Amino acid sequence: MKSLVIIPAYNEEKSIEKTVQDITEHAPEFDYVIVNDCSRDATLEVCREKGMHVLNLPVNLGIGGAVQTGYVYAEKNHYDFAIQFDGDGQHDARYLHEMRDYMTEHGVNMLIGSRFITKEGFQSSGLRRFGIRYFSVLIRLLTGKKVTDPTSGMRMVDKEIIRIYADCYPKDYPEPESVVAVIRQKKKVEEYPVVMREREEGRSSISPLKSVYYMVKVTLAILVEALR
Amino acid sequence: MMTTKIQLIIGFFLMVAFLSIVQMIKKRKLELKYALSWLGAILFVFLFDCFPILLNKLSSFLGIWAPVNMIFFLGFCFALLIIFILTVTLSRMSERVRKLSQAIALNEEKIDVLIKEQECLRNKLQEDERQYM
Repeated sequence: MKSLVIIPAYNEEKSIEKTVQDITEHAPEFDYVIVNDCSRDATLEVCREKGMHVLNLPVNLGIGGAVQTGYVYAEKNHYDFAIQFDGDGQHDARYLHEMRDYMTEHGVNMLIGSRFITKEGFQSSGLRRFGIRYFSVLIRLLTGKKVTDPTSGMRMVDKEIIRIYADCYPKDYPEPESVVAVIRQKKKVEEYPVVMREREEGRSSISPLKSVYYMVKVTLAILVEALR
Repeated sequence: MMTTKIQLIIGFFLMVAFLSIVQMIKKRKLELKYALSWLGAILFVFLFDCFPILLNKLSSFLGIWAPVNMIFFLGFCFALLIIFILTVTLSRMSERVRKLSQAIALNEEKIDVLIKEQECLRNKLQEDERQYM
């Protein structure tokens, strides 16, 4: 089974090497690919210097476009599984095996790594947790499906979903919207308990000022997706 | 009503606008496809400039009292329409930029892989040569 780890990276020069080491150490039979979203720091140079496998975007596409590049790559190279994995050290590569085993055992199309099942590790700030809870309720109302961590950037998908995402993936703040898109197409979505770390370097892409826009945009996007 | 003087002034500016748009199309600074709506608008205004009586006829047909109000209203609608079309075009463009950048990234990676393979082959060849010598 060919499996690919997609690591979107924007200005991650300090943590990208550690992330890749984590994967090659704890999940050696997973291929990985870094998608450098036109970083303004030395991310690309670090990747090239260490001989890491990198897809280099010539213009900044934002997280959605970057991740999708990984899915297009996965589709073209006939991968059976693909997992999104943040380049800032938040995610733990030790879960990769477990998650893939769980998917094959239970015939799941998409498995989301959730922080809020066992409620261990980094739980994000109170306000942010409230936002996540809100999206969770919204998705449940619209689709009837319980997703405790719809904003999680750690999600494993199978061949079918790779094809769907390679064809169509939201541009900015894509996580909740893309989950709804998959649920709507009657695919089997489940969550897997994971522990996340607090990011070591860099800041969240969502600043307080942008959070209002984030809430409105993602709400509308979910509504539109549910209406499709 | 309009005086001949203002008719001439408006006509002059329309002429200037028309010629500069045509010039820009000739120099390929502006695509004909996107300039068409502007050329159409100029023609439209020019028609009213030459025959102001049409304005009165149209405004009374639409049930608008003062022809000047109708000009404001129609002009506003026209501007909104063009802006909306531009937004649609922009969405399409950004979609194309996305696809192109992704294709470039994937191709670049392919080239990297090919170069590496070539280097491997070359090293192997050199080693083989050394062994036979």
